[in-house]
Amino acid sequence: MRWLLLLTASLLPFTAIAAKKAPKDRYQDFRTKSLSSTPLKLDDASYTKLTQAPRDYAVVVLLTALETRFGCVLCREFQPEWELLAKSWTNGDKKGESRVFFGTLDFAEGRNTFQSLQLQTAPVILMFNPTTGANAKVDAQPSRFDFTAGPQSAESIHAWVSRHLPEGPKPAVSRPINYFKIVSVTTAILGLITLVTVTAPYIVPLLQNRNLWAAFSLIAVLLFTSGHMFNHIRKVPYVSGDGKGGISYFAGGFSNQFGMETQIIAAIYGVLSFATISLALKVPRISDPKAQSLAVFLWSGVIFGMYSFLMSVFRMKNGGYPFFLPPF
Amino acid sequence: MATSPVDPLLKQLTGPNTRSLLRVIILLTIAAAAVSSRLFSVIRFESIIHEFDPWFNFRATKYLVQNGFYSFWDWFDDRTWHPLGRVTGGTLYPGLMVTSGIIYHVLRFLTFPVDIRNICVLLAPGFSGLTAFATYLLTNEMVTSPSAGLLAAAFMGITPGYISRSVAGSYDNEAIAIFLLVFTFFLWIKAVKLGSVFWGALTALFYGYMVSAWGGYVFITNLLPLHAFVLICMGRYSPRLYVSYTSWYALGTLASMQIPFVGFLPIRSSEHMSALGVFGLLQIVGFVEFVRNQLPSRQFQTLLRALVLVIFAVSFGGLVLLTVSGVIAPWTGRFYSLWDTGYAKIHIPIIASVSEHQPTAWPAFFFDLSMMIWLFPAGVYMCFRKLTDEQVFIVIYAVLASYFAGVMVRLMLTLTPIVCVASAIAFSQILDTYMSIDSPTPEVQANGTPASASVAAASAMLPDGLRSTRNPIVGIYSYTSKLTVVAASTVYLMLFVMHCTWVTSNAYSSPSVVLASRLPDGSQHIIDDYREAYYWLRQNTPENAKIMSWWDYGYQIGGMADRPTLVDNNTWNNTHIATVGKAMSSREEVSYPIMRQHEVDYVLVVFGGLLGYSGDDINKFLWMVRIAEGIWPDEVKERNFFTARGEYRVDDEATPTMKNSLMYKMSYYNYNALFPAGQAQDRVRNTRLPAEGPQLTTIEEAFTSENWIIRIYKVKDLDNFGRDHGSAVAFDKGNKKKRAHKRKGARTLRVE
Repeated sequence: MRWLLLLTASLLPFTAIAAKKAPKDRYQDFRTKSLSSTPLKLDDASYTKLTQAPRDYAVVVLLTALETRFGCVLCREFQPEWELLAKSWTNGDKKGESRVFFGTLDFAEGRNTFQSLQLQTAPVILMFNPTTGANAKVDAQPSRFDFTAGPQSAESIHAWVSRHLPEGPKPAVSRPINYFKIVSVTTAILGLITLVTVTAPYIVPLLQNRNLWAAFSLIAVLLFTSGHMFNHIRKVPYVSGDGKGGISYFAGGFSNQFGMETQIIAAIYGVLSFATISLALKVPRISDPKAQSLAVFLWSGVIFGMYSFLMSVFRMKNGGYPFFLPPF
Repeated sequence: MATSPVDPLLKQLTGPNTRSLLRVIILLTIAAAAVSSRLFSVIRFESIIHEFDPWFNFRATKYLVQNGFYSFWDWFDDRTWHPLGRVTGGTLYPGLMVTSGIIYHVLRFLTFPVDIRNICVLLAPGFSGLTAFATYLLTNEMVTSPSAGLLAAAFMGITPGYISRSVAGSYDNEAIAIFLLVFTFFLWIKAVKLGSVFWGALTALFYGYMVSAWGGYVFITNLLPLHAFVLICMGRYSPRLYVSYTSWYALGTLASMQIPFVGFLPIRSSEHMSALGVFGLLQIVGFVEFVRNQLPSRQFQTLLRALVLVIFAVSFGGLVLLTVSGVIAPWTGRFYSLWDTGYAKIHIPIIASVSEHQPTAWPAFFFDLSMMIWLFPAGVYMCFRKLTDEQVFIVIYAVLASYFAGVMVRLMLTLTPIVCVASAIAFSQILDTYMSIDSPTPEVQANGTPASASVAAASAMLPDGLRSTRNPIVGIYSYTSKLTVVAASTVYLMLFVMHCTWVTSNAYSSPSVVLASRLPDGSQHIIDDYREAYYWLRQNTPENAKIMSWWDYGYQIGGMADRPTLVDNNTWNNTHIATVGKAMSSREEVSYPIMRQHEVDYVLVVFGGLLGYSGDDINKFLWMVRIAEGIWPDEVKERNFFTARGEYRVDDEATPTMKNSLMYKMSYYNYNALFPAGQAQDRVRNTRLPAEGPQLTTIEEAFTSENWIIRIYKVKDLDNFGRDHGSAVAFDKGNKKKRAHKRKGARTLRVE
């Protein structure tokens, strides 16, 4: 067994030399290509050529699916970061001392490669270390970076790449200064200041309006106590199907919720609070006895019904909850 | 509770003495109800310390009582975080331990023979009575209605949102901190109202006590300046505000710096900068006000206003500069994750891994606060009627605390007091209106004018009042309407009491050290595996045997088994925790050297597969992997623990990395033996396990508790013959030793 392995390993370079050009020439080929445009746009053929076994350079390939019909949001989000990384690496390493190539293989051009690698997901980054030369690594398998932790920045991929490389120049990611952003932000701030100065006579009474502030505070309180921050952090779906073609508005389980669900709950809280406020503040100010008793019964009924509904929703979420109010 | 609605009726009584006597009795009853509803766990189980952190507090308190205050202050604990140790005296909030130490010594002085454990168990219920009283005081400062305070006290006494952290045995910092929080707010309101140095100093004193008790003091540190700042912005600057804020800030900051754990943070960390900034702003505003009184020239005032703006901008710029240059420490991770909610998940997995740092879904709000959750906005709205200085405080507190409670489950605790106060304001308003016996006659309509006049006077800055309070108050005409509302309110209150009792009894009274289950015949069965295992450790291992476990169990091992641990719930050293995570998630050949280097004698894992106990280590395992991956991204990879389809499995299809990890092996070692061949079942993950169980070579099973919840393994010493453990085990089993390498060719003489 051992012998066989050794034998095949020692034969490999010969087959390669027999089949293709020497790695030196290949390196020069890709070097000139990458100087004109990086990351290299690869297809099946050039991918195989670039990552062929005897190589004295490292290759980092992003396997991605950019076309809209694949619906890979992560791929498209990451693409600018990837190009930034490749550009700043190549620019920072003009002499090519690090001997690293960056390549992009789109699914449209590299269907066979995806199949042979048995890739189910994209994007994936593969890193091939050199197999010959001073920096050769024994392990011929490429290291693989999966985007399990969500979208990545150029810096984090840079850190990953440089971890796998031996000593040598590792040009840092240099983000171009976004002049457009600076100008637009400055303009916006100046515009805002002008707007505030001009409209101050109209805005100040508005700012001092107590009803406005009350509305703001109440909306904030209702929003937060109905679990809006949970939606924001966990990015829950708005509604979801119930498996029978209908829509289920309430998520099952105590620590789970839908976006629509929280809005319903916030509305219930709002109605209950408003009814309480009416009972406490408005009703005693109604001067007509008939209208007053009508209002009392109306608001009491609203509170009762809504609270009953709220408890029934809560029983849905928490199966063992024993309390209820009659209608629901 | 049911007593407070009676209060308005008592207005018929003439003597104020009778009324205050009744009030005292009601408050005492509320305190008694608050204490007794927290005793479920003591009655059901026994007087025992709960959960995880309380075990450390208990251990520290015992140390304090045995060795005295000064040696507690200088305590270096070499039995945790082996081999690093922990400067315990300088890295804890000593308020809780010192409080119970004082109570212990006072009781001893009065010749009551009490055990320190009982003081620790009953401290939280005792303080909840005081919290109810403090809520009463705070609410009384907010509104004139005497019933609101009593109602708020009753709400505070029994609301599950507070009970969740203060049942008997839950000996944690929050036990006393919520009382201190509410009481400090009361003192602050008093100080702002009266503008007295005395009350300001008292605020500072209790603020100092709060700092010594709980890290949540930062909430006060930021809320009081915000209140002052909003008041200034509303044009409500007054000498009262100046006096109270200045005295609080100067004395309170000095007081907080006395705690070694806090030290110089109040002048160096960003969390405290708002307090400092408002302090400076108040000086400037005070100076400007003073000059304005001397010089009534209009131009000069404009100039001064510009001056204020310039100084403010310059100092803000300076602050930013100092932060960037690193003189002022940036936000700490926990605090920062409150604002940028995605921060912790990316940068600090150890914070994100704690279940109480998760965001709050709406059922949790209703569960903890019940009907108060919809009375709360109504109460906040009612504060806008007059919007006095102290009611501004309620509004700010309400909005801010709702946000925090929405972001982190544990901060529900800071929201609860204000919810109680606000909903008591709303509820008492209804009760006061509908429970008064006299009805107006329909013709007369002019008795509301004085009230609206005072509203107009109070809202000098905010010109118009609320839309709902423009008309004068008339009163309620018919008894039927009064009866309807009062009856409905009584039903809601009863329902509230029942809800609170049910939640307390079902959700918050489990010690989590002892588990309870029901047998088929309905009788209760106690599952006591934790203590069984910890006492086994205490009695069967040498006193200095080092125990490795995941950090959740560190405090319990220290408290119950009294053995040194590698990591514990004080998660101060992420790398050390990641080391343990790596040892747990790697192959035995990798883990063994790590364990040898850290002198580990025993490894403890929690396994719930037999019983269906879902809080076990296999379910927490991914966090260990993630935390380890944060430090060693090349050696531990989360991806390898998922199958190709992205599933986390433990059965036949589990990945090789998963099957070879130390944690997996330790959890399922010999588990097959319990079942007929090929039938081994994991009841937590509901899967059938592989027919062949994992084999262990470098460690051996030492102890497994009755229900298999705790499994303890002994780390083998180096082999006597210098073999590696794999071959030693193979030899013992009688397997024929494989030749390492066959010699090929003729032997040759080696010449060097």
